[in-house]
Amino acid sequence: MNAPFSSYLQSIAPCMKQVISLLGASFDYVSILSTDSVGWRIAIGQRSKAVTNSTMTTERGCVIRVCRDGLYGEYAFNHFDPEHPEQIAQDAMAAFRAQRELLSLTGTRPYATPALPDEPCDLFTEFAAQELPENTDQKALIDRLSRLSDLAMEKGQHLIECQVTAQSTHISKMFLSTRRDLRQSYIYSEGSIVPIAFHDGKNVYTHVSVAGREGPEIFTALEGKLDESLEIIHDLLRAERVVPGEYDVITSPEVTGLIAHEAFGHGVEMDMFVKHRALGSSYIGKRVGSDLVTMHEGAKCAVNVTSYAFDDEGTLAGDVTEIDHGILRTGICDALSALRLGTQPTGNGKRQNFEHKVYTRMTNTLFDSGTSSLEEMIRSVSHGYLLRGMQSGMEDPKHWGIQCIVERGYEIVDGRLTGRVVSPLIMTGYVPDLLGSVSMLSSDREVFGSGGCGKGYKEWVKVADGGPCLKTRARLG
Amino acid sequence: MSPYLLPLLNTCGADAWELTETRTEGWEFYFIRHALDQHRVLNVTHTTVKVFRKSEDGAFLGSASGEIHESASEEETKELLSRLLFQASLVRNPVYALNTPKPVEPLNLSLPDIPSMARDFIEAMRQVPETPGESINSYEIFVHLRTRHFMNSNGIDLTETVPDSMIEVVVNARAEEHEIELYRSYTSGTCSRDDLIRDLTDTLRFGRDRLHTVPTPPISTAPVILSTSAAVDVYRYYIERMGAAMKYRRLSDWEIGQKVCDAPLTIEALRTLPNSSGNHAFDPEGAPVRDLLLIENGTARAFWGSSQYAGYLRLKDAFIAENFRVSGGTQDAAALRTGNYLEVVEFSDFQVNSMTGDIAGEIRLGYWHEGDRTTIISGGSVSGNMRETPLSFSKETRQYDTCLIPSVTRLETMHITGIDPA
Repeated sequence: MNAPFSSYLQSIAPCMKQVISLLGASFDYVSILSTDSVGWRIAIGQRSKAVTNSTMTTERGCVIRVCRDGLYGEYAFNHFDPEHPEQIAQDAMAAFRAQRELLSLTGTRPYATPALPDEPCDLFTEFAAQELPENTDQKALIDRLSRLSDLAMEKGQHLIECQVTAQSTHISKMFLSTRRDLRQSYIYSEGSIVPIAFHDGKNVYTHVSVAGREGPEIFTALEGKLDESLEIIHDLLRAERVVPGEYDVITSPEVTGLIAHEAFGHGVEMDMFVKHRALGSSYIGKRVGSDLVTMHEGAKCAVNVTSYAFDDEGTLAGDVTEIDHGILRTGICDALSALRLGTQPTGNGKRQNFEHKVYTRMTNTLFDSGTSSLEEMIRSVSHGYLLRGMQSGMEDPKHWGIQCIVERGYEIVDGRLTGRVVSPLIMTGYVPDLLGSVSMLSSDREVFGSGGCGKGYKEWVKVADGGPCLKTRARLG
Repeated sequence: MSPYLLPLLNTCGADAWELTETRTEGWEFYFIRHALDQHRVLNVTHTTVKVFRKSEDGAFLGSASGEIHESASEEETKELLSRLLFQASLVRNPVYALNTPKPVEPLNLSLPDIPSMARDFIEAMRQVPETPGESINSYEIFVHLRTRHFMNSNGIDLTETVPDSMIEVVVNARAEEHEIELYRSYTSGTCSRDDLIRDLTDTLRFGRDRLHTVPTPPISTAPVILSTSAAVDVYRYYIERMGAAMKYRRLSDWEIGQKVCDAPLTIEALRTLPNSSGNHAFDPEGAPVRDLLLIENGTARAFWGSSQYAGYLRLKDAFIAENFRVSGGTQDAAALRTGNYLEVVEFSDFQVNSMTGDIAGEIRLGYWHEGDRTTIISGGSVSGNMRETPLSFSKETRQYDTCLIPSVTRLETMHITGIDPA
């Protein structure tokens, strides 16, 4: 079946088109993004259980974007009478006028930008879905999640809690402008198992997850992750502290994805180029990694949680080769930044929700695969670590620094795993050094879409990242 | 709120319910240098309901929550409430009581209007003393007035309007071809103009220093001094572990009367702090907010939290706290800056995990004090664990929005990963 497009958005479309027409008399550019995304989140633990009908991306509202005299403004709203589009237009005009008065009073000048091109385009896409979140047998699901949590407590060592979560969201978005009418709907889901242990005065926990542009049918895969999560707990309980230094490391696909995302991906978000906040802007066409490094970015280059048909500015989804055998070719770009830079948008203009501004944001950020096996890669290391489990990262586009917090490392000495585990690990360094020392990549590839991405400390959106295992040199502390 | 929502809530079959309606008026301004990238207006209302169902034997209480959109028809609202009731019946938590009406003293804030709040920020940014070598790269201003109306089936019916603001600023420093940036983010009620200008002036100075850093040497272990907002995360470790949710879920093993810190640490939840974005007369569940001593001289005194977890721990007059004061330091800030130590003023992302106690952060700008020498450094990382590092802190304090903390914090035993010399 297909994920049906929101009947609510269908019903307000004529009203929004009227609003665009009314505002078009006063502005050089007008568009409206309308959203209606529904979903739920279930969290089952030993000590508490919760059901909420909100996830990171549930929302219903509209945002008008206008441009006049080189200045862009937006008006976000969610209560209105669709029988009276003239009232919506009046409210927006009054809001813009009030702000312009303040701008005039303070002598604020605009970062003058031409009106966005508004090429004609009609699109209606309902992505395929096996099961809709609206139709899920939630009783059966809660029973399954509860059994998983109970089973973890029976099997796990020193567990004090095991939280199992499942969330599913049905996204519908409609982008309208004078010449564009784009509508899309899709479903994405994610689930996780988080066992928590306490032993010898030490608390440890891990997080294993499933995620994809799928419906709640994805949660059956959680059962297969339980034993893996308990083995990780066992490893974390016996983990030692790493001796800080530079090492050969082999990254699991999850950590590879973290590097792709944090160490590189943020660095080529081209809204940062506009502000001269990205070192990457001076490296276009230059070498930033070894010959083995090729990286793709775009909503179309994988099927995962943020694989949409068009972005929040009405730009169709893309697939960009950011790095081609070590050479930086391009970044990713929202429409407004593209206009300012004289380039093309790549379908990466995203909002946290209708109340938030568009920024250049990642979608699927992936290293291409190589030709080695993991065993070959381990055999090639004289002293280093196999890194698994991502916890967090922080971007540094200006200086191309790296901060990735990795959950654990498995020691390799003379080409063999020694059985020793270190945790946690802070991986730091300089992006071109890290990418430049990539010497092997495995032939497989995985994509991960759980969690979220911030721009600094705010503007949270869904992203996915991944790749093969890769061997490189990194500083661990 | 639609006129049929309350009648439907009262007749839908729920054993109890909570309703929160939040109306937000907001203005936003995005600047590239001092030129306006974009201006935005928010005019949004969100109404969330939570319905509760008891099990037949009365031993368990289930709940489910969801938003009733402003556009929802009566039929849609009935359908959502019916779905919430079904979901609530699937959730079995031990029973607890919702809050009941209690006297709530209003905050009596004098509320500025949105344009004034925004204007204060715009004008403050123009007063930051920029030079050709140190300047503002970009900034984003967010000002809101939020009116929150909370009701529950026990008869609580409360409304308040409070301001909150945020400004995110990036500064540059440059010398010849080399340019760096530093990032700052400030949240508050309204614009604290003097504080903002003062802190950004300091930040510009840090930017100048960042131009002249050397790679962090391989220091191994040393005390680390925190004198910026990163230190808030150190105290959040204690605050969160005194949370009823963590305690009930066994993620915190602290007990009342237990020594939880060897330092003379005192932490209080406060009803108000000057110009805090967390000043509220009542919490999100309608409980009056008050002052509460959480930790006294290193000893745990009281847990804080929501009605659910506070109920499980049998806490009286509990509430969800937002403002905190940390005190108890007996030394001057200068006395803490002795011996060899690393003072880090800029991290990529300083983190303290309240469950494990792990501390981590990449160093973007630090000052390594070794004997009489001070070296400005960058790169590498600090790491440690709150359970393993002795803590000391100054008697002087500084406020970062909802947290009033010592202005200088010293973590005695931290691992510092430097950059090996080539």
